[in-house]
Amino acid sequence: MLLAIIHDAFKNLSGNLLRSGLTMLGVIIGVASVIAMIAIVEGGQVSLVNSIERLGTNLLFVWKKRLTVEERRLYAGRWTKLKYADALAIRQKFPELTVAPVDYFDGQIKAGKRDFSGRIYGTSPEYSEMRNFFPAKGRFITTVDIQEWQRSVVLGSTIAEVLFGIESPIGKEVKIFLHGRNKKRDNSTKKNGNSTKEGKKEQPRVGEYRFVVVGVMETKGESQGKDWDEMIFIPSTTMIRYFLGTDRIGNLVIHVPDRNRMDEFSKKLNQFLVQRHDGVDDLRIHNQGEFLKTVEQTLWTFRIVLGGIAFVALLVGGVGIMNIMLVTVTERTREIGLRMAIGARRQDILLQFLIESTTISIIGGGLGIILGIVSAYGFGNLVAQALPGGGDWGAVIEPPAILIAFTFAVGVGILFGLFPAIKASKLDPAEALRYQ
Amino acid sequence: MALIILRNIRKVYKTGNLEVAALINLTLNIEQGEFVAIIGQSGSGKTTLLDILGCLSHPTSGEYWLDGDNVHLLPDSQLTTIRNKKIGFIFQTFHLLPRKTALENVQLPMMYARASRAIQHDRASELLTMVGLKDRLYHYNNQLSGGQQQRVAIARALANRPALLLADEPTGNLDSQSGNDILTVFEQLHQQGQTIIIITHDPLIAQRAERCITLLDGKIMSDEMAHPSSATKG
Repeated sequence: MLLAIIHDAFKNLSGNLLRSGLTMLGVIIGVASVIAMIAIVEGGQVSLVNSIERLGTNLLFVWKKRLTVEERRLYAGRWTKLKYADALAIRQKFPELTVAPVDYFDGQIKAGKRDFSGRIYGTSPEYSEMRNFFPAKGRFITTVDIQEWQRSVVLGSTIAEVLFGIESPIGKEVKIFLHGRNKKRDNSTKKNGNSTKEGKKEQPRVGEYRFVVVGVMETKGESQGKDWDEMIFIPSTTMIRYFLGTDRIGNLVIHVPDRNRMDEFSKKLNQFLVQRHDGVDDLRIHNQGEFLKTVEQTLWTFRIVLGGIAFVALLVGGVGIMNIMLVTVTERTREIGLRMAIGARRQDILLQFLIESTTISIIGGGLGIILGIVSAYGFGNLVAQALPGGGDWGAVIEPPAILIAFTFAVGVGILFGLFPAIKASKLDPAEALRYQ
Repeated sequence: MALIILRNIRKVYKTGNLEVAALINLTLNIEQGEFVAIIGQSGSGKTTLLDILGCLSHPTSGEYWLDGDNVHLLPDSQLTTIRNKKIGFIFQTFHLLPRKTALENVQLPMMYARASRAIQHDRASELLTMVGLKDRLYHYNNQLSGGQQQRVAIARALANRPALLLADEPTGNLDSQSGNDILTVFEQLHQQGQTIIIITHDPLIAQRAERCITLLDGKIMSDEMAHPSSATKG
């Protein structure tokens, strides 16, 4: 019986292919857009979270705060900013945390006749592991470097190539020269600084020191607004002693072993540092976990908005089904009358039209899944080509998303088929038989 | 007890405030195995009588007994079962379903009676063979002539071995030759003991039946047995 009804439904739908196809199109587009939207947002999430986590996880960043004029007056004489000693104190107070001080200056690095102007970072051995950024050749800064103010330098892969080409830079001597800490960053000179200037006389300059290259970093690319391959690392202590002349440092990167304790440590550190700074609240602690949370929240907004639009499309598809089913019921009034005359019960008629609308939505849903997956991957590739940093923004197809979209489509088919089917089953057999 | 008993049947249609009585206190008995023609002009109430006899609608008042069932008291859902099991309909316009073969059309009442597929198939082909369409089982409507389509309809009407075969102008859409063939089929069925009621406006067709009831303005004007001699005339 049921089999016969389903068979009938297919016959009726295939008997009017164009109409059935157009009706399905609504469902196809609806389901496809739900799947594609969700896949693209998922893809975006994976890509963003990856790019954040690639730079290390569970990190807290301590920055000096920009003070207002009033605060400066208030804290006059007591304002110490962030010091190298703070890093050491945190290590002592919270041994479970890993702390890396980070600061930089704009300078020039020279190897023979080639030079490069860029940022030179002073940090400690912990930095490498925390930021998930490791040397490809040689080593990173070591504790010995820190303790003995060694003039060791670790080069980003691009820098190594600019200065040494295919030669191995390990053990080679370079000269590092401070441009001046307050010098305005000039991008054009920085970029053009890669070219070798020949014919210029070698003259010793004030603030120029010899360093030995001890390592070359792996290639990491651009993210979070900087090119990791153009970084140059020297020990913090060396930087303070030779270039800065003060133990103030720009920021601290702190690794928390347990993700769930990040908020707790963020608060504890703040208390500890304010206390150390004589009650002056001149530091800001930035929580990477919060940043991740913000990203995830933003993505949820996208998910809801895009998903909502897609579901509306699906709903419109359902209205299309209802519309066409109403036409079908009217067209087939005489058939309904005949079926009732020869023994079809009202629920048989109801079932017949319900199965027809459900068949439309099941086939439409199935085709929509295919179209959705294809367009999601298509879009993923498009983003990958369009954005320089979007290389890993692939669509992520989640089986639950497919299931939800498909179930919803079938539900829409049943829901919107219900009214026409009820209408058909309520017809008066005598009148329906003679309907013109 | 007669197969069909109608007692004081009234049927009133309401159109706005206007009430039109289509049948007025109609009383009628039809015995098992009779071949009856109900004749009347348009507006005489014969279509209304067909609807009531066919359990397609309830009378406004009065009693209807069909094969021992108290039809006027039954709810809609049970009328459906009665139509399916006890009545075989034949219509002027055949009412075969499109996109279905002759066999599938004949199987339809059995499908609604929840018969097994094997039984449906066997019974349907047996009936189509009986009406002379043995080699047309898998033909679609548009591949059959009018006369053939009406034979399919007759086979469909007989599918569930109904107590009553109810034909509404069965030859109205056919040429005289095919119409004659259809009436011959009815006569054969009658000889096998099938109760048949034909509703028509054509006195010539009515003559082929053994009993002729004439309706006028919702009442029975005459009810007479046809002359045996005229029954063979055609």
